[in-house]
Amino acid sequence: MSNRSDVLKLAGDELRCCIQCGSCSASCSTADLMDKSIRELVRLVLNDRCEEALDSRSIWLCTSCLLCTVRCPRGIRPKSLVAALRHIHEAEGRRNADSSLEDLFMGQVKDTGRVSEFYLSALYALHNPKATVQIMTMGLELIPKGKIDGEKSRILGIEELSRIFEGLEES
Amino acid sequence: MKLSYYPGCVAKSTGIEYDISTRSVCKALGVELEEIIDWNCCGATHCSNETLAVGLSARVMARAENPIMTSCSICYSNLRIAALRLEDKHLRDRVNSLLDSPYSSADVRHVLEVIMESMDEDSVAVPLNGMKIAPYYGCLLTRPPGGLDSPENPQILERFITLLGGESVVHPCRMLCCGGPIFMSQEEASSRSAFQILRAAKSAGAEAVVTACPLCHLMLDAMQRSIESRYKEEIGLPVLYVTQLAGIALGLGLEELALDKNSVSPLALVEGINASVNI
Repeated sequence: MSNRSDVLKLAGDELRCCIQCGSCSASCSTADLMDKSIRELVRLVLNDRCEEALDSRSIWLCTSCLLCTVRCPRGIRPKSLVAALRHIHEAEGRRNADSSLEDLFMGQVKDTGRVSEFYLSALYALHNPKATVQIMTMGLELIPKGKIDGEKSRILGIEELSRIFEGLEES
Repeated sequence: MKLSYYPGCVAKSTGIEYDISTRSVCKALGVELEEIIDWNCCGATHCSNETLAVGLSARVMARAENPIMTSCSICYSNLRIAALRLEDKHLRDRVNSLLDSPYSSADVRHVLEVIMESMDEDSVAVPLNGMKIAPYYGCLLTRPPGGLDSPENPQILERFITLLGGESVVHPCRMLCCGGPIFMSQEEASSRSAFQILRAAKSAGAEAVVTACPLCHLMLDAMQRSIESRYKEEIGLPVLYVTQLAGIALGLGLEELALDKNSVSPLALVEGINASVNI
């Protein structure tokens, strides 16, 4: 079970300087979808209630736009907190529909070195049948334009890439 | 000028017109591009292990022999973040122990920056004739700070539009996130964002939107038809990449700019501009 210091190690020790001003939440473009605001996530982690932060769907609603990180008056990187919580979520073997995109995406990078949107979308639909309609709609728009590349190739430096993945797995 | 080009994963698929028009515009401006050999994905917005993300970008940057240019805002942001983090010697040594050729430093540029440096009024062969264009920055083109423009109040797109002879329209959503990174899991929320942006641009009188990121483009252009039917509102706003717009003003041909690949066709607009030049 992860605790405060595990999260701080990943998200940066400066998280402790949070003054709970809420600039992060106020800047967040998906705040209204979140069950816990970014400011609350910081608070939960600092109060060593990491379990609640890890259970929050909010960590999967971040679009990585970095506006919170630009605006934080204390030099905290709230986006890094979200990344840390996602990473721990994954490392602890937790899985949910929201986390599957990242699994599939990074799995593809690890296997081939690049991402094929075609395979990524197809795999995501298999894991999350609810998303099939939206993915088909997008596909029907893109296929006639010749904008879907079904070719699956692997970069030559795959061994070097595997080394990077293994060497940095423990962030 | 010779630059190492990092096309990114979408260059052969959803962002194919961005790749084609980037190469054409750079050629026209005398900027030589050398594609980075055997490049890998930067992890986009889906790599929550930030150290691994640095490693992925480091491999790309270590393979470049010249200043690096990318056209994707996500790749641009990731490479810049990695270059900043790699200033830490401890992390650099750790990453370099894993790379075939070590990373030392990198100069990372976005194609918009390169265009603005290489173009002036004299190179505008076909001025846009006052066409009303909505600038759309999205998020990562200007973030983290220290890149091509201010992360809070950038002006480079407005200057770009004006340089090409267009009129930059003012609208409130030029930096609202398009929602692209959560499209798969939160389709409704991301469609809502894209709709807001398109509607703001349209209400401000824009005839087209210009963007610099393939994911923003996907949300605003490829999704536009679906957004129109969901919100029962006609939009019909062409969304052009910065390179396509620059190419039009440079007098490049439709094929060189892959203008037939856009979902909402910009061809009528382009014909209007060309007709005004011929008169």
